[in-house]
Amino acid sequence: MIDFEEELKKYEPAIEVEQAEADIKARDLTDLTDLLYNMTVQQNNGTK
Amino acid sequence: MQCFMCGAEVGNSKVCFNCGADILLYKQIIYTSYVFYNQGLEKAKVKDISGAIEALKSSLQYYKYNTTARNLLGLCYYQVGETVRAINEWVLSKNLQEENNPNADRYLAEIENNPGLLSKANSTIKKYNQAIEYCKAGSRDLAMIQLKKVISQNPNLIKANQLLALLYIQDKKYADARKILSAISKIDSNNTTTIRYIHEVKERLKAENTGRRKKRNDVVTFADGNDTVIMSEHSFRSMLDNSKASFMNILMGLVVGLLICFFLVVPTVKENMTSGNTETVLALDQELATAKSDNKKLQNEIDDLQESLNAYDNKQDIPTSYENLMAAQNLYADGDAQGASEYIQLVSKDVLGEAGKATYDSLYAELSPTIIEGYYNDGNTFYTEENYDSAIANFQTVVDIDESYQDGAALFLLGDSYRLTGDTEAALECFEKVVELYPKNKWGKQAAVYIAADDTELSAADVGE
Repeated sequence: MIDFEEELKKYEPAIEVEQAEADIKARDLTDLTDLLYNMTVQQNNGTK
Repeated sequence: MQCFMCGAEVGNSKVCFNCGADILLYKQIIYTSYVFYNQGLEKAKVKDISGAIEALKSSLQYYKYNTTARNLLGLCYYQVGETVRAINEWVLSKNLQEENNPNADRYLAEIENNPGLLSKANSTIKKYNQAIEYCKAGSRDLAMIQLKKVISQNPNLIKANQLLALLYIQDKKYADARKILSAISKIDSNNTTTIRYIHEVKERLKAENTGRRKKRNDVVTFADGNDTVIMSEHSFRSMLDNSKASFMNILMGLVVGLLICFFLVVPTVKENMTSGNTETVLALDQELATAKSDNKKLQNEIDDLQESLNAYDNKQDIPTSYENLMAAQNLYADGDAQGASEYIQLVSKDVLGEAGKATYDSLYAELSPTIIEGYYNDGNTFYTEENYDSAIANFQTVVDIDESYQDGAALFLLGDSYRLTGDTEAALECFEKVVELYPKNKWGKQAAVYIAADDTELSAADVGE
């Protein structure tokens, strides 16, 4: 049985055109290669 | 391939010889990113847009420079009506890979070349967001109005459709909800929210139909021409009762009609038939009597005509009679009495003149014994041959000429011939005359015996000569 109120909470406002730029800037684009890079850098720094 | 750390060319080696970075792990990450991309592509091909979006997001989490996956992700967003998200992905794709990114260039160029599309998409998004606000404020009717507008402008916006379906479900408009969910499932076939709502609608419709069936037991539906009539069971029963009453009235009318027919019409018809038959019989009787009368008249005419014909046949023409008379006269003159008697019997006396009649009479008188003898002999011959009718004719001729011929023998034999043919009365008359004329001779005695004892044993041989 669906709980209407609970279900309604899942609906979030869509991004408007005006918000598109802000959304792009706010986007965290960190991926696994970035993590690997950071890990490798840290590893190299620790070695030094 | 370049090293992700120092940018040195590493080729197929597992470790960067310049900085010592783990290239194999880096390659595995990129490889995994493309595996997710492939999954996303496969799902997008079968219209599992939600699944494709998830796979493509995963692909980009592994490797953000997988612009192919990002472009496809934008396309998936565009497909489910999220135009701004799609544009964002394509813009990011273009920023992350400015060169050699033709798909992103094309998609963005199309958006730029159609400025109305963007404003329309923005308007739709605003209405959708407004609808969410209405929903949260409890104004579901306003939310539904807004959502219907949104869907009319952007039918592919899955979220708007799902929200409207949710509102329909909340308002127990399950059929409407199912219709919307069915439509968006064709756009995004494996959306978990859509599937969940569809199951919900099915369950509720099932429960509703069960309840409705119970209610429908009290409802009767039937077709009347092109119209479907729905009546409560009570009304239907009432109508049937009225129909039964009408049927009974018709039946009673038929019975009364039959009785009237049986007691009034049938006797009248029978009477008419009887009267008609009587009239017919009377008419037939009359016709029969008339026919009989006519028949009698015709018979009389036939008799008269036959008599005339016989008289005519018996009459010889005058020359023949005179010729026969002359022949008889000549033969008698020549001494042939037998031949003369035969010719004179061929003469018709009536046609003769006075002189002829006188000649005929005188000649006939002279030839009478010969003629009588001939008849008598012929009678005897027929009598012996038991041809009594012919015998009677010959003996009658003899008796007519001479009653006492052969001392009553001809008369006796005539009577006996009558006796033998069963004409007792004529026989007795002859016998009595014989007894009267010759009571003493054998003919008279035998005749007396017949008269007294009605003895029939005397045969012709006993009494014949």
